[in-house]
Amino acid sequence: MFISFIIGSLIGRISKKVSYFFGIIGSVLGIVLALLVLLTGSSLEFDLWKTTQTSSFEFFVSPFNSYFLLISCFVWLGTCVYSIGYDDEDYTNDLSSLLIFTILSMVVTILSGDSISFLVGWESMTIASFFMILKGKGNADTIRKAAFLFLAFGEVSTVFIMLSFSGIFSSIGNFNFLASSSSAIHASGPLSSWILVTALIGFGLKMGIAPFHMSEWLPIAHSNAPSNASALLSSTLTLMGVYGFINVVVHLGQYELWWGWITLVMGGISALLGSLFASVSEHTKGLPAYSTIENNGLIFVAVGTFILASYYHLTLLGDFALIAALYHAFSHSISKASLFLVMGWISKIKKSFDLNNQNPISKTVRQVGYFPGLFTILSLSAVPPLAGFVSEWMILETLFQSFRFGDIASQIIGTIVGAITALAAGIIIIAMTKAYGFGIIWPEMKDDLETKETKSKIERSKSIKGIFYYFLFLILGIGVAAPVIFLLASNSLSQILHTKVFDSLVTGLLGIPTYFVILSGKPFGGFSPTFTAVFMVCLMIVPVAISRLGDKWRIRRTFGWFGGQTQPSATSSELYNSFSYSTPLRIMLKFLFKTKEKIVEIGGVRRPIILSPEEYFVEVEVLDVFKQIYDTLTKYALSLSFYTAMTVMPGRLGLYLIYIMTAFIFVILYISLIK
Amino acid sequence: MIPKFVEQRQIEEINGTIQISSIFEINGKSLAILTDIENSKTILSDMPLSLGEHVSLLLKEQTNIGVQTDLDIGSKVEGYGVFIFPYGPVSSGIPEAGGFKLITYGERIVKLIPQINFKKRGIERRVIGMKPEDALLLVERSAGNFSSSYSTCFITAVENILGLEIASSAKWIRAVAIELERIYNHLHVFGRLGEAASQNVATAQVNALKERVLRINAKYYGHRYLFGFNKIGGVNYGPFTTDERKGLVSAIKVIAKEFSNIVAFFLSSRIFLDRLQETAKLPKQDALNLGAVGPSARGSGIDMDDRLMYPIEPYNDIFIGIETDKEGDTMARTMVRIQEIASSTVILEQLLDRMPSDNINKPQLSSSNSSSSLPCNSDKDFSFCRIESPSGDLIHVVQLDAITGRIKFLHIRPPSLVNWLPLSKSLEGNVFTDFQFAFESFGLSYADSDR
Amino acid sequence: MIKSWFIHGIRNGILTTKYPKTLPTTDEIPIKSIPPFGSKDSDWLKGKQICPTNAIEDQEKNVDFGKCIFCRRCSDTGFDFEDQNEMRNIALQAEGLLNIENRDKMHEDFKKKIMTFRKSLHILMIDVGSCNACNLEVLNLSNPYYDLTRLGIFFTNSPKHADVLVVVGALNYAMVEVLKRTYESMPNPKIVISIGACSISGGIFQDTESFVSPIHDVIPVDVTVPGCPPTPIQILEGLLLSMGKNNKQQTAEEKHNPPD
Repeated sequence: MFISFIIGSLIGRISKKVSYFFGIIGSVLGIVLALLVLLTGSSLEFDLWKTTQTSSFEFFVSPFNSYFLLISCFVWLGTCVYSIGYDDEDYTNDLSSLLIFTILSMVVTILSGDSISFLVGWESMTIASFFMILKGKGNADTIRKAAFLFLAFGEVSTVFIMLSFSGIFSSIGNFNFLASSSSAIHASGPLSSWILVTALIGFGLKMGIAPFHMSEWLPIAHSNAPSNASALLSSTLTLMGVYGFINVVVHLGQYELWWGWITLVMGGISALLGSLFASVSEHTKGLPAYSTIENNGLIFVAVGTFILASYYHLTLLGDFALIAALYHAFSHSISKASLFLVMGWISKIKKSFDLNNQNPISKTVRQVGYFPGLFTILSLSAVPPLAGFVSEWMILETLFQSFRFGDIASQIIGTIVGAITALAAGIIIIAMTKAYGFGIIWPEMKDDLETKETKSKIERSKSIKGIFYYFLFLILGIGVAAPVIFLLASNSLSQILHTKVFDSLVTGLLGIPTYFVILSGKPFGGFSPTFTAVFMVCLMIVPVAISRLGDKWRIRRTFGWFGGQTQPSATSSELYNSFSYSTPLRIMLKFLFKTKEKIVEIGGVRRPIILSPEEYFVEVEVLDVFKQIYDTLTKYALSLSFYTAMTVMPGRLGLYLIYIMTAFIFVILYISLIK
Repeated sequence: MIPKFVEQRQIEEINGTIQISSIFEINGKSLAILTDIENSKTILSDMPLSLGEHVSLLLKEQTNIGVQTDLDIGSKVEGYGVFIFPYGPVSSGIPEAGGFKLITYGERIVKLIPQINFKKRGIERRVIGMKPEDALLLVERSAGNFSSSYSTCFITAVENILGLEIASSAKWIRAVAIELERIYNHLHVFGRLGEAASQNVATAQVNALKERVLRINAKYYGHRYLFGFNKIGGVNYGPFTTDERKGLVSAIKVIAKEFSNIVAFFLSSRIFLDRLQETAKLPKQDALNLGAVGPSARGSGIDMDDRLMYPIEPYNDIFIGIETDKEGDTMARTMVRIQEIASSTVILEQLLDRMPSDNINKPQLSSSNSSSSLPCNSDKDFSFCRIESPSGDLIHVVQLDAITGRIKFLHIRPPSLVNWLPLSKSLEGNVFTDFQFAFESFGLSYADSDR
Repeated sequence: MIKSWFIHGIRNGILTTKYPKTLPTTDEIPIKSIPPFGSKDSDWLKGKQICPTNAIEDQEKNVDFGKCIFCRRCSDTGFDFEDQNEMRNIALQAEGLLNIENRDKMHEDFKKKIMTFRKSLHILMIDVGSCNACNLEVLNLSNPYYDLTRLGIFFTNSPKHADVLVVVGALNYAMVEVLKRTYESMPNPKIVISIGACSISGGIFQDTESFVSPIHDVIPVDVTVPGCPPTPIQILEGLLLSMGKNNKQQTAEEKHNPPD
């Protein structure tokens, strides 16, 4: 698998297709490996070389990290197949190299058994992503800015993770805590708090958790990157943050109460802000990127509940919360990759990343996104029985049980965060309907556009359709076959938690056979996604049967109703647009968005009843306070680094950065070697 | 035939206090009816044609029949996310054939373009060559809910030309009809506002009162919408006897009293007040510039009323209180209407109490014209009349053919037509949900402006 | 507040009309708005000359209520007034399938349709060029005196939800396409009620430049309600006819298909 990815990244300069092909092989191998490990429960260890007596460079495939490998490989497989169709003459060959290299470094990050190789993987992942973002289309200056912002925050996150790992090192004396699942970090007092807080900030930065998301690094960076890169970054790069954070948290044996509070509150606020800002985003990729913040916030909430439950020794609730986090990571990664790929494809055909853009595209091209897009947004807006619903249901169920916590403060925080999370899950529907309505099935078709010019596009759309359906199948599968995923997640946690959660939480109920009902506690709620799916299909049969088997006269096709007027054409100025769709939200939540509405009247000189033509200019801006703060910060930071770079090394800034980063990695390697 | 109380002068410059109310071309000459708002006077003046061309398209008769028109002079709105929201002609908010184009970026109205003439019937063109009494049937069916204002305005202008001196009591009975019409129209507007604010119980009560006024109309004037009670030279129906007059007054007084009770309920409802206050503000200067008339103008603090500016009998003889409000918002316009129901009741009381008792349907030629054997003096002669209809100033300009006595020229300046632009202006910067309140508070009728 | 409304309501009593259980009162159908009937030949001839909309046919001694605008000119000429109850019935005349050639076939369809709407009816009003009086009378149906909802009739705002299209006004050129689109948008089965002289025949506006044709030339009309404007009770009569609730339904059928 490694070799396949390495070849892929090397060969990219010569041929993109071969490079992606190796990416596909690697991903398939990864899926097989991960499934084997997850089902057998055995773990593999490869020691590369000893660095000290107690530490070594090692790769380590445990059920825990193979669960994340499985998620990632599913996404990578889809992305690589998609890239073969997507990556054309618009982008240089470097893109494929960088993409596969990013994947490679993520594999290193996941499989690393020690913190040094974790950091090496983490760092190379950041750098590769940085260059990938630079390949984006659009205003060169904006892209450069976005990429540097991404890099800056990536580096800050690395620094915090290093601080966290140093704390762990001083506690247990070696770097290999990731591998030894059995050895909990028995740090106590300020040291363990130090470890958790630095890890929280370090991984939170990568996941875009509030208040760090407000720099908009994630949306800006992601939205300007090529679509396949965006999918990779938004669904798997943030997954690395989830992996790292959960990893550190489960290794801490004892918990403090306030850790749980902080995690819960940060998660809840991220979810709410993410969903709100997703709803007012007008960018085909900014919107899904904000939605990523929302989903990562939900994962944080689940982890926070886990911490609180563990503090009070509510084992069952804690396990359920952790499985909810893992499950949500799975469902979100798959759905988000799918959303990025579908919307990215439509944007590519439309030649615009603006949701308001009304460039008409042909019907055939538009139709490729109909069903996959629909199920993706339904999953992300948590509609049963799809993947997103099961995971969000699990997270909310854990919060419903916040009454089990021992103190009143935790109960109140749990309840409030529960309310906020539910609100966020509701608001995201606005964003998702907007994404589907304006980003996928918009604008109106025009058959006369199916001319020579678009023939190739239609052909390519048809060929790329398959990969959308691959994701559609996954989204349906994760939801309907929820107990299977539940089994995988509980297997992956079995070594860490020392229990088999699956047996205690998955039963049968009310005539539904065993292994089909997921219980969220004993005694508490239960849900069977499989049977919900069966029930919904049965319900659907009735209307479908009526419409199919009924008399001919029952079916009547008629046009839409436009107040008696004709249907406006695709390019008409009478079309409702995405901006107007979310303007009520901008106006209602003025205090949050700091909306500035400016209606400037130009001309329109009125003498008594003698009228002259009027001109108006409208400008609406959405602003947020955090952005202003970060803008000032980045402005100073950028100017400082710019001057430093100009004085120290007046060459190309990009080269200089590569140099610095490579030097940094080698220094780490060297230090670990001489020890 | 221009009444003595109308000043005739040349105009050099139109300033803020003198408003152009109507412009029409007669005998190849452009004339204007002006309003001196400060002194409450009607002025007839020559209008330089050069100036006339630039005057708003509203005041000229629009000749394109069967095609809808946008009331707009090339407005341009630019900005990210701006689109046109078409509303109508078949819509839930407006029970008539008419529409709007709302230029918006979502929720906030940047500019409102009324679309009229969906049902332009071209009555001004149709009546040419008709006998005045036949034309009357068409004229009073121009706007069903302003029918008595229309018929009285038209008949007064015709009688002016013909030199008919009709019985005072007939004129007083017409005035009674106009005030009844004002009351039921104001009740209608108030009911629509209540409906828009979802005050269903209260709205039902207001609508019941309106129905009672309509039944009073039917009882004393023979028609719920006052069609056909008027005729040239007198009236067909009306409260002729003292008993009828007394019955009418007491019935209306009861209605006014019940209405004031219901209004007290409305004004204690915060929900209702919140929707009306600060909604669709029309500042006084805008109202002046755009030529708003009627309760809409009075709501913005403009003290204008045709019953004072063009005081035909019996309005020159009775006390009329003009209700104004400075605020200019929907609440102000509604308050003006509420107060006008009360003041109309007072006027009705005076009218029915002091009604002269002469022989109603015996018109005679007035002394000045008695020497002429023709129906009217010369073919240059024309006449005009202004009536304060429920929605404001209504102007009819009539010219009769000297020989045949048939109509040669008719110009109608409906009140709704000039109030479209003030409505449009007042809604700028408001949100969609304010639209219904603003629209209803102006009391506009498409049938009126599309005559 | 609620208590006050309650007392207010109690004090006002029941305003709602007893119709259709009893005949309407003179308040509801004002006598003066009904055209009179004459018996003498000379009266008919005189009436024909004086009628502004050619509603009086002197040969057949018949008044075409689809054309009559109830201007009451003919009553000034000294027509005899006949039985008032009789006239009230004439005013109430809401008739299925006026002026349609294949009346029998259409009548069968109509009978089928009204079976569907026995319990509830959703109506949409479309104005194609009226003077606003008919519009107001249709709106008045919802006030406490007539209270449509007690009969299971409701206003809707979209043709997609409507069972009945209530058309008012003289069809204007600008509204022809709109009317067709509205009719097309309605689901089947559907009923069209043509209200007022203007929509039935053009009424007083039949010679204006903008008038296209009577409504039934553009879309199939099932029920006509004459009047200028018809009173709410008359409109209600037309709506009840479309629901099959009308007492006169039987007689109307007998009129078209007399029993052997």
